[in-house]
Amino acid sequence: MNRSKTALLALLAVLLIAPLALDRYLLSVMILILYLAYVGQAWNIMMGFCGQLSIGHALYVGLGAYTAAALYQHFGVIPWLGMIVAVAVCVAAASIVGWLAFRFGIGGTYFALLTIAFAEFTRIGFDHFDWVGASGGLFLRVEQQGNIDLLNLRGHPLMFYYLALALAVSGFVLSAWLLRGRAGFYFRAIRDNEDSARAAGVDVFRYKMFAVQISGGMTALAGVFFAFYYNNLFPEQIFNIGRSIEIILAPIIGGIGTLFGPILGAAVVTVLSEGITEALAAAGYEIPGVRQILYGVALGLSIMFMPHGIWPVIARRFGFARPGTEGDDDRA
Amino acid sequence: MTGPDAGPALLEVSGVSKHFRGLKAVSSATLTVGEGEIVALIGPNGAGKTTLFNLVAGALMPDEGQIRFRGRSIAGRRPDQVCAAGIGRTFQIVKPFADLSVIENVMVGGFRGTADRRLARARAEEALRALDMWDQHARMASALTLPDRKRLEVARALASQPTLLLLDEVMAGLRPTETDLMVAAFRRLNAERGVTILLIEHVMRAVMALAQRVYVLHHGEIIASGTPRQVTSNPQVVASYLGTVAGH
Repeated sequence: MNRSKTALLALLAVLLIAPLALDRYLLSVMILILYLAYVGQAWNIMMGFCGQLSIGHALYVGLGAYTAAALYQHFGVIPWLGMIVAVAVCVAAASIVGWLAFRFGIGGTYFALLTIAFAEFTRIGFDHFDWVGASGGLFLRVEQQGNIDLLNLRGHPLMFYYLALALAVSGFVLSAWLLRGRAGFYFRAIRDNEDSARAAGVDVFRYKMFAVQISGGMTALAGVFFAFYYNNLFPEQIFNIGRSIEIILAPIIGGIGTLFGPILGAAVVTVLSEGITEALAAAGYEIPGVRQILYGVALGLSIMFMPHGIWPVIARRFGFARPGTEGDDDRA
Repeated sequence: MTGPDAGPALLEVSGVSKHFRGLKAVSSATLTVGEGEIVALIGPNGAGKTTLFNLVAGALMPDEGQIRFRGRSIAGRRPDQVCAAGIGRTFQIVKPFADLSVIENVMVGGFRGTADRRLARARAEEALRALDMWDQHARMASALTLPDRKRLEVARALASQPTLLLLDEVMAGLRPTETDLMVAAFRRLNAERGVTILLIEHVMRAVMALAQRVYVLHHGEIIASGTPRQVTSNPQVVASYLGTVAGH
């Protein structure tokens, strides 16, 4: 058992018993952290591992959320089934984006623009999609919060805390597993040099598609979670580019391409923004947009002083990194 | 037209041409590499050597002509398909996976045809040992010196278990002692593992020591072929390198 594994299990243990010590507000902050850690992990597979920049991940959050919510609202389909459909829808959407981009050799900035475009026109489409409430929003039936209905994902925030934890853990495990195997090697080879990857036998198109599909599919689950946790969906809100940016902040600040970066980044971003908003509120100020300004400052500082994110610095400092040992642990 | 003491043809390039706009980079080039041979492709700068490599490796599509590997046409196939067929290549301008360690770089090649991580790692270790690079396996590729990056290119290609290895100027910039080590390594690979080698090389010391046969490319055309000694004493070849006397 090496140091990073021990630290990881300790963290998991703390997270499992944490709700005992948390009030309602702190519980909601933790849920947000775990949620962002999970979506960050999904985004990181595409960008951090495979080098394909998406600034439109709100597309998958929104599609996943709307799919499961609409199935539940209109047909009474339980979210556990709805999420399968949601994943399928998002994998299909990701395949379209990926196919268009990679078949026609669109890369780098242009690919990022394409992801924004897809999220934006889906937002506009949903604004006029009456079946799911159009711009007026989709509202889920809210039951008594006292009784927990795990089957329909209705109930107490505590249930959502553990669901978010389960998502974050499974996202981490899936990423770790991918990174260790052939796909992880191929993704990173593509990220570092496509020509070399091809020459070494990597079917670049196929693996880029795989990265986009798995990332989109994972993000769909975050959308389902979002829908059932917040109980309301508005296209303006869920497909908003601001949400896409929020998703990518955590892994960038935490450490792009690393396994712990998205988790650490989610904690840092959330604690900072919640902390400052709270502090300002306590001092009697309410400044609209302060969160966004803060995001900008945090991002700027992290790029200036820790261009590879916070995690690599910490990993070195505390001996979690074993440079060069096949990247399972040093990049973990 | 295989070499005198070579086995059956492994790679057959016949009448292959490639134009870039008006420039004829390769013009009806024909060459053969027999199984188990070490063949060198030489020629002055800009002769079309790398273009010819790229045509074989699938990085470029030939305008005309046939490229056959083990009797099957590979012209126009994708680079990863060519790799899967058993041709490993290096790049003249090295292209390591900079954010991966040395062994990870080589393991990418080692995953050819398998998803078994342990097998990929074993192949990578074998390739690195064959090139006397094992002691550097944990370093980051970006931290390597140029000669080591060249060896890394070879190791990555080697880990994909190629039948034919295409080496594009892997000895350029090496010191003579390093060249000799590399030559010895290729000889070993050829003798012990039966790897066939086609190499582009400017370092004549290496060509003379390694190649059983040599093709000379000039202005996209093969102007001579034969043993290293035959080729270097060919007046046409000498002229292509040094130019002809004025007024000729």
